[in-house]
Amino acid sequence: MNTINNFTFANDRSDILAWLSPLNPKLRHQDIRDGRVGNVGEWLLQTEEFRGWEAGSAGSESDNPVLFCYGDPGVGKTFVW
Amino acid sequence: MLTSCDISSLVVDRLCDRAKDRKTAVACFYFDFAAQKEQSWAGMLGSLPKQVVSGMGEVPGEIAQAYEDHKKVIDGRGLQLADIVRMLQTTVSEKPTFICIDALDECIARYRIKLLDSLNQILRRSPGTRLFITGRPHIRAEVGNRLSRRVATLRITPPRDDIISYLRSRLDEDTTPDAMDSGLKSDILRKIPDDISEM
Repeated sequence: MNTINNFTFANDRSDILAWLSPLNPKLRHQDIRDGRVGNVGEWLLQTEEFRGWEAGSAGSESDNPVLFCYGDPGVGKTFVW
Repeated sequence: MLTSCDISSLVVDRLCDRAKDRKTAVACFYFDFAAQKEQSWAGMLGSLPKQVVSGMGEVPGEIAQAYEDHKKVIDGRGLQLADIVRMLQTTVSEKPTFICIDALDECIARYRIKLLDSLNQILRRSPGTRLFITGRPHIRAEVGNRLSRRVATLRITPPRDDIISYLRSRLDEDTTPDAMDSGLKSDILRKIPDDISEM
């Protein structure tokens, strides 16, 4: 019986993914990445804030698991400049 | 112009590049005013475990079981917030997970609060989870409050060189080059970075 269940689960994989959400943010990610220009924005990855967030220090009292990056208030889509 | 999407996608790429060595998972979501109708909180939140699960060899047993149980219920209601949060919790507890959310200010305000509260719950229970968010400054206080003030902030102010190289690449793609002369080009490369720096 277990074997049958496992077999069913394996076949259901794509159904389960669709059930979790109809949205595919990774496709949107690929579109955005394809439209990105050169190394623009790389500076952010070098900042102390980003590096500290990425490395993390789980368990430490002062660790912030969240990094919030904000641009200037602009019009339309979230323009950062 | 450069938008927060570019920054977020850069961060997602960087995290994905290193995910294999670090044995971490990466999930992202890009909010968009124009897609508010399709971007329900359930679809958005459900897309996070979906991305983590799609990178796993096997669907975690608890999620496969939840799906089987759900199938048995005829006329069952759609997934409830608590169900999705539980499944997200299951996936992030299997692997340290980076979650990146772009343009959070473009999420409908009442969904945004639910979303932040759910993510806060995840962060509290799974310390390996890290969350990257971009948005306009007016939601900064809300993000801090809803996420128990465990939030570092960074203002996005690109260096002048970045602005110039961006402008150069766009000028290279000009489809009407006859309308451009070297005087106009140098004016653009001088004036726009100045204006941006003064913002």
